[in-house]
Amino acid sequence: MFEFIVGYYNYWMYIGLMMIGFYAMMAKRNLIKKIIGMNIFQSAIILFYVSTSVKKGGVTVPILEHAHEGHGAHHAVDIMQYANPLPHVLMLTAIVVMVATLGVAVAVCIMIYRRYNTLEEDEIIMSIKRG
Amino acid sequence: MKALSLIIGVLVGAGLIYGTLDMPKWGDPHSAASTHVSSYYLHHSLEHTATPNVVTSVLADYRGYDTLGETTVIFTAGMACILLLRGRRKS
Repeated sequence: MFEFIVGYYNYWMYIGLMMIGFYAMMAKRNLIKKIIGMNIFQSAIILFYVSTSVKKGGVTVPILEHAHEGHGAHHAVDIMQYANPLPHVLMLTAIVVMVATLGVAVAVCIMIYRRYNTLEEDEIIMSIKRG
Repeated sequence: MKALSLIIGVLVGAGLIYGTLDMPKWGDPHSAASTHVSSYYLHHSLEHTATPNVVTSVLADYRGYDTLGETTVIFTAGMACILLLRGRRKS
């Protein structure tokens, strides 16, 4: 039972964080709070992926040692000593996409505020219905 | 609305937790993510790219097209922000 929890608890923690962001996106009325919820959701996804890159038994960052000893010296790389670099690389692109999405979302919010003079969702819908 | 969102959130979370039971355990060194391509990158990064930082060599050399796509995304987002925020026309 304890082995089972220790094997999966990182996934469950990040799913919990994801659902907090998801709830904020759906339930809050202010547009900026919805955007913050979207940001929490995306950050949780990024952390979820990066947490799969660790290996048991103590690993270090994926930067190779003994690299500057001249061209001829090739030390065999012990891959069990380094963390898996692939999720880190993929999540760098995901972070950049997250920031880009945040920028465009906030720009759309500025345009909505200029047009309707409010950022509450129910007031905007009322103002649209009134024509 | 808030109660419905809470119920939906809990249901989606339960579904996701049920889905993670198939994933490899945390820290498994023989998981599928850590064995095929990743070990190739770690073994051959120094002789192919002469860079001790494996993340840099994967991002800029082995997966260069992904980085190209990422810069395209940033450019598109910048264009969208400029077009949206160009200022009101006083009519």
